[in-house]
Amino acid sequence: MRRNSPLLPYLFVLPLAGLLTFVFGLSLVRLVEFSFKQVRGIDGPWIGLRNYELVLGQPLFREAVWHNIQLFLVIPVIVVIALVLALLLYERLPGWRIHRTILFLPYVLAIPIIAVVMKQLFQFSGPVNTVLSALSLDFLVLDWIGSADVALWTVMGLILWRETALGVILFLSRLMALDETLIEAARLDGAGWRHRAWYILIPQMRGVIEFFVVISAITMLSAVFAYVYVIGGGRGGPGTATMVIELYIFNALVRTSLPGVAAAVSVMLFLVALILIRALFVLRRREED
Amino acid sequence: MTTQARRSPDAAGLGRRRFLQAGAGFGALTLTGGLAGRALAQTPTLDMWWWGEQELPGLQAYLDKAIAAFDLAQITPMLQDTAVVISQFQTAAAAGNPPDIQYLWNGIYHMESVWLGYLAALSDVMDPGILAASNHGPLSRFDGKVWRMGWYPLPMPWYFNKDLFDRAGLNADAPPATWDGLLAACEALKTAGIEPFGGGVQDGYWAEWYLTHALSQNLDTVGDAVNLFIGDLDFREPRYHQHWVKLAELRDAGFLNKDMASLELYPGIDLCVNGQLGICSSIGTRLPADAKTTNGRIGCMTLPVFGQGKLAGRPVVDMQGLGISAGSEAPDIAARFLEFLNAPEQLASFWEATGWIPAASGFDDSVISDPSVKDLWTRWGKGNNITNITNLMPGQFYEQAAIPTGQNIITAGMSGEEAGELAARVAQEWRDFNPDLVETYRKWAAELSAG
Repeated sequence: MRRNSPLLPYLFVLPLAGLLTFVFGLSLVRLVEFSFKQVRGIDGPWIGLRNYELVLGQPLFREAVWHNIQLFLVIPVIVVIALVLALLLYERLPGWRIHRTILFLPYVLAIPIIAVVMKQLFQFSGPVNTVLSALSLDFLVLDWIGSADVALWTVMGLILWRETALGVILFLSRLMALDETLIEAARLDGAGWRHRAWYILIPQMRGVIEFFVVISAITMLSAVFAYVYVIGGGRGGPGTATMVIELYIFNALVRTSLPGVAAAVSVMLFLVALILIRALFVLRRREED
Repeated sequence: MTTQARRSPDAAGLGRRRFLQAGAGFGALTLTGGLAGRALAQTPTLDMWWWGEQELPGLQAYLDKAIAAFDLAQITPMLQDTAVVISQFQTAAAAGNPPDIQYLWNGIYHMESVWLGYLAALSDVMDPGILAASNHGPLSRFDGKVWRMGWYPLPMPWYFNKDLFDRAGLNADAPPATWDGLLAACEALKTAGIEPFGGGVQDGYWAEWYLTHALSQNLDTVGDAVNLFIGDLDFREPRYHQHWVKLAELRDAGFLNKDMASLELYPGIDLCVNGQLGICSSIGTRLPADAKTTNGRIGCMTLPVFGQGKLAGRPVVDMQGLGISAGSEAPDIAARFLEFLNAPEQLASFWEATGWIPAASGFDDSVISDPSVKDLWTRWGKGNNITNITNLMPGQFYEQAAIPTGQNIITAGMSGEEAGELAARVAQEWRDFNPDLVETYRKWAAELSAG
């Protein structure tokens, strides 16, 4: 093959593509196959769409989906807070280095670690309520992890705290890469911090914000297991108040011996994640155009 | 200096005779070593996957000693994580590479593996006398065979704190035996400024244990519990959700500890041991340590009676056990090891390492010196006990009804009737999701009801 052959780059990629196809492709094929079977052990009889029918007709599954959708409410809050914090850090306010470290810290720590600590803090007789009582703020003393009405909001708070750190990291790295001459010119023209942020910085960050929104959406859909597992007592509790799709899959596979059902939900989750990723590509292409 | 120059003069001057002698010696050594290696290779090797150190500290030390003392096979133990005890075994069995010996929880937690063909019938490979003396319990039987050996028992008492009973003016030597008696005791405790009843339900196990003691009160046989899941009995009938009505009654009267919903099971029990809670659900393996901590001021009782079933008021004893994989290449040797664990000296070693009682009847219980533990063993272990009926629940029912109902009653204002509705719906869902298991369950229920 000649050096300038158009096939040459594909040849280089071929081994890795083959490996990925084997590792992920095969698993995906088996996953789809399982979703149409009543699996006992590692195989079972073909039952068509029955697993999908059962899952979609089950109130618990619909409740899990609804909880995931509720978690989407956190995304705009995360984006706004992360954006403001990144812009403040970019301005290098006094003590910005230590603030940056504090803001990044939650993202460095593993989710189970911070979730376990949060769980201790937010117990009914825990330090948070003790402090609130001491400050005569008894109306804020809630059963943060024990109340079915409050537990999902506590999970949201934990997600907000940790995922904001990722947003700050992404936004700040984008800000660092901007051409400073434009910002300096605006400053010389007398533009204040708010005007610089709104008219110069944020418009140039549009791509990274869109990216972060899509990544956050995928997180809320398929990467909150560790949060709810710890806060919800390992079961999406109290009751089913923090049950989410991932935990539903875990329970179906590990605790209720229904691998076919777990596969059916996984396939649906995969398809929704694919749609979100596709949305990201469309946004990127539109921006490039 | 060259390599040649560094060689020793003797070696350099090795004669033919010396060379032949050395060669013969080396050959003999090789032959001996080879034979020894072959002998070692012929010693069977068994894998044993186990669990229990989490609930019974010292079990690992005991097991290591027992394995070292067993000379028929080399056994490699592996301590399993709680979340994967069943799934790890079933996956390995399905893949044709299971351990030879597997730790087995009671009832459905091993019976599904029996139905999938992953376990060998112990009654076919073990000495019948030893197997019977291991006290495996009724939930280890199916199709006329025994599939699991009893290893250590778990009496399930309700703790009451005697000091708190004294402070509330209650008789600490006569805990309440009826539901009305319980309500009166709770009222007295509450009046004395003591949180009366509860523990921690955040991780869900308290809700399961409550069912263990309370659902059984309206059942006539253990098989009735299975009949509730297969649809022959109905949770919507008042008799079969009365236990949840009673829990709601305790909630409405303000008798449950206020942090119950955010505490996990064991910290909840600690409240009772530490003198902050009057009555809580517990487990016998904790008693030796808890009795020591409180100088014997922890008492044990059964859940006061409200039900009309034949099982009401009887002490509950669960049983942990061991079994042999159907895929084991050496089931006979695995069986010898299980028999070996039931030898009197091994039972004594178990007690010495764990401070807890092994299941087998051959254990000399005169060594129990703590009066609290002795009392528990006499009334629960040797008493007219019943098995833990939550071990009959399909996993789906356990996860989606047994635990959520208890938590929702305590934390979300659910009524007993609503809990019954939820349980009936989830039981129906289980039947829809697992049509292939319903008939097997029905057969199991018939065997259990027949005794």
